[in-house]
Amino acid sequence: MATASERRAIFALTAPAYLWLTVTIFLPLSAMFYCSFLSKSPLVPTAAEFTFAQYAAFFTRSVYLNLTWWSLELGFYVTVFCLLVGYPVAYALAKQIKGRWREALFLMVILPFWSNALVRIFSWTMVLRNGGLLDQLVQSIFPAAAPISLLYSYPAVVIGLVHSYLPYMILTCYISLQAIDDSVIEAAANLGARATTIFRRVVFPMSLPGVIAGSALIFVPVIGSFMEPRILGGTKGVTLGMSIEEQFMVTANWPLGAALSFILLAIVLLICAAGYPFIRKRMEGLK
Amino acid sequence: MSQVDIIGAVKRYGDVAALDNVSMSFKDGEFFGLLGPSGSGKTTMLRAIAGFVSLDEGEVRIDGKDIGATPVYQRNIGMVFQNYALFPHMNVQENVAFGLDVRKVSAADQRKRVADALAMVRLSGLEQRKPKQLSGGQQQRVALARALVTRPKVLLLDEPLGALDKHLRQEMQIELKRIQRDVGITTIFVTHDQEEALTLSDRIAIFNAGGIVQAGAPAEVYAKPINRFAAGFLGEANFLVGQVAALEGGWAKIDLASGGIAVIPGEGIQPGQPALLAVRPERLTIHPGDDGPGNNRLCGTVSEVVFSGNSTTYRVRCGEQSISVFRQNDGQPVLAAGTQVTLYWEPDDAVLVSA
Amino acid sequence: MSARESRLGIGGWTLRIHLILVLLFLYVPILVMAALSFNRSQLYELPFTFDTVWYTTLASNQRLIDAGINSIVIAVINTVVATVLGTMAALAFARYQFRGKSLLQLLLFPPITIPWLVIGTAMLVFFFWTGIGRGLHAILLGHVALSLPYVIVVVGARLANYPRAMEEAAATLGATPWQTFRRVTAPILAPGVVAAALFAFAVSFDQFVISYFLAPPGVNTLPVAIYAAIRKGFTPEINAISTIIIVVSMGIMLITARFYRFGGER
Repeated sequence: MATASERRAIFALTAPAYLWLTVTIFLPLSAMFYCSFLSKSPLVPTAAEFTFAQYAAFFTRSVYLNLTWWSLELGFYVTVFCLLVGYPVAYALAKQIKGRWREALFLMVILPFWSNALVRIFSWTMVLRNGGLLDQLVQSIFPAAAPISLLYSYPAVVIGLVHSYLPYMILTCYISLQAIDDSVIEAAANLGARATTIFRRVVFPMSLPGVIAGSALIFVPVIGSFMEPRILGGTKGVTLGMSIEEQFMVTANWPLGAALSFILLAIVLLICAAGYPFIRKRMEGLK
Repeated sequence: MSQVDIIGAVKRYGDVAALDNVSMSFKDGEFFGLLGPSGSGKTTMLRAIAGFVSLDEGEVRIDGKDIGATPVYQRNIGMVFQNYALFPHMNVQENVAFGLDVRKVSAADQRKRVADALAMVRLSGLEQRKPKQLSGGQQQRVALARALVTRPKVLLLDEPLGALDKHLRQEMQIELKRIQRDVGITTIFVTHDQEEALTLSDRIAIFNAGGIVQAGAPAEVYAKPINRFAAGFLGEANFLVGQVAALEGGWAKIDLASGGIAVIPGEGIQPGQPALLAVRPERLTIHPGDDGPGNNRLCGTVSEVVFSGNSTTYRVRCGEQSISVFRQNDGQPVLAAGTQVTLYWEPDDAVLVSA
Repeated sequence: MSARESRLGIGGWTLRIHLILVLLFLYVPILVMAALSFNRSQLYELPFTFDTVWYTTLASNQRLIDAGINSIVIAVINTVVATVLGTMAALAFARYQFRGKSLLQLLLFPPITIPWLVIGTAMLVFFFWTGIGRGLHAILLGHVALSLPYVIVVVGARLANYPRAMEEAAATLGATPWQTFRRVTAPILAPGVVAAALFAFAVSFDQFVISYFLAPPGVNTLPVAIYAAIRKGFTPEINAISTIIIVVSMGIMLITARFYRFGGER
């Protein structure tokens, strides 16, 4: 395959990047895995013992199972809303709008995604708080209505997260919708399929890889989110992510935090493993 | 202008030999076509001459000098790539001048030589265009001008016309031939299009599985293919299987499996040996009616008629075999499917080929 | 267009209105936030009175200014390091076939797909154990790790569309490897590399989670300082600095878009 001089070149070109990733990603993950089996935090000077206690705590104490369940539920809601809101946008951009408009609108849709996440979450406090934009709007239409404040509520967290991750869904769905040749749709119409049938039997199945990829890209960070629920949810709707953050930054119980992190990773892996064969099969079918 | 010799070239990729001990010579000023299916080694050969492929064994010599150790950029070999590989960030003028510029040719000389090269390919006036703004045929001409402007010793063309549509391809074939004759440069090109190879080349070589099957002038290779692959790859051929029955007065009589007897010149043929004959469809004469068995003839039924304006191709069923016959439409009525026919050929039209 | 739409039966107008509503959903909060940064009232009270007072306060907030300088310095170093290392790796992937290549490419996914929370806390643990500790240097280590996969992917995409034949053509025309790199490879790759560098800058400049875990008390990047401020209470000063950040981020991405087309038509 590669000659000796090529091997040297390959090594010289790839080694720095991968050495860096090893020190900052792969070794830390291994270290944290090890940490999750310790009986006490490395911050405590006394020697720690090997134990499964942290994992046992997760499975025996209902608070963590509840946390996990809430996180999954939150992930589910955010993903579904992103799909419902984002898919039609992706469809419009991929199949209806052409030329310069498409380029401009596409850029507008994904631009917020590349701007600061924290700042965007903060911007929602301006809309949702008592006396915020939403409140003012409702008051101006129904002067008699009671003041509303969605801030520090479950819906606020969902709205903020949908705002954060919507562009992911639009992007992945757009890519797979755009890859569908218009002649396939015309062929289906020519064969006598009605619009709804074409969508159900042809367009949507062919865009599934994008839907699944987008869902995974949203679901995974949402169940690991902590900043968004802290700012928009206050104490409402505690997530697994918030609990992990707490173990590291507040209670300094690193082994428990590490164990929770790996449980989070395990959930992520299970989701990917469940989705992967499906995506793969679809992708191969589309080649 | 230069002669190129390949001596015992071997190139392996893992277990596969892309070039399996190939030796050949390209004469000074010759237009030489390398023909063959993909993966047959023709492109590897071209890239070995250019210097992109280093041979495991053997030599590439230009004017008798081994250039195996010479890096690509010192070989002074012009090359036109399959998709032209024009530099997208440079305009036509800059593209063509590139080779002169890296050789530190003075600006005034550059301008003159670029203008001459563009005039040669008939693109004067398009100097400021970017490659993207040119049609496929124009890009091809720029690539050609760019390759020739440095006055290389050899010109290599990799599927030069592959990206053009049929009409443009024919036009460019004539153009390419004219420029090559004017410049007089030794030119080696790779193609999988047999018609292109026949039209352009002074000589061709048919490649298969890392080796040369046959090399020679196009007409000669076409008329006298040495084996089944050469006969089938270059043009169309009907293959008749049989056995040499007897040798009589310099003629060999061959009993055909499909019935009938073929008589061919008997030079170097042993009685009793199995024989494979290749007959070109245009060398067969078709007559309506069943004339019965005889020498150099086959009887059968027309199974298919393909009319293509100036000619008609018939498929004739002779026993188990289907034979193609090509006939110019010179006023005789076109025969209908189902007609009983007899096919004739001259002794020289059937070529004994090896399997 | 209309023929196909009517056949598809999905109303063009319904979709268009939906698209407009989604754009409003995406941009209205940001615009409201930006507008309130120019409102005089400390408590976001209306009527709106234009004033740049919050930007002047910002100018004397040493804590935020220091955090801003940290953010910019880290983002710049991150951009240089990640772009150079990432481009090198992308070149190796594009140019050579070798065993283990797909494994190496697969290894780019964990940094992108594993939640930042997990990566950040893992770095915290590992850096504590190895003595690397917390601080700006640790934050930089983390940012480069997150930027590298993006750079490799973006430059790789550019390289994939860039035929090797260009370099071969330059060589047959007599250009030495160095001349080829300088006059052909580099100019053609430049837009991809610039886009990748801008991505890397954005990744670092906007990064909150990793910095949050790796910043020791008293050391801030801009997002970490803003988070701390938000947790204390909303002030128009936060609106002001947030507005500046959003303008910078979006500006960078708009410039990036000039160099790199996101999935749009060719």
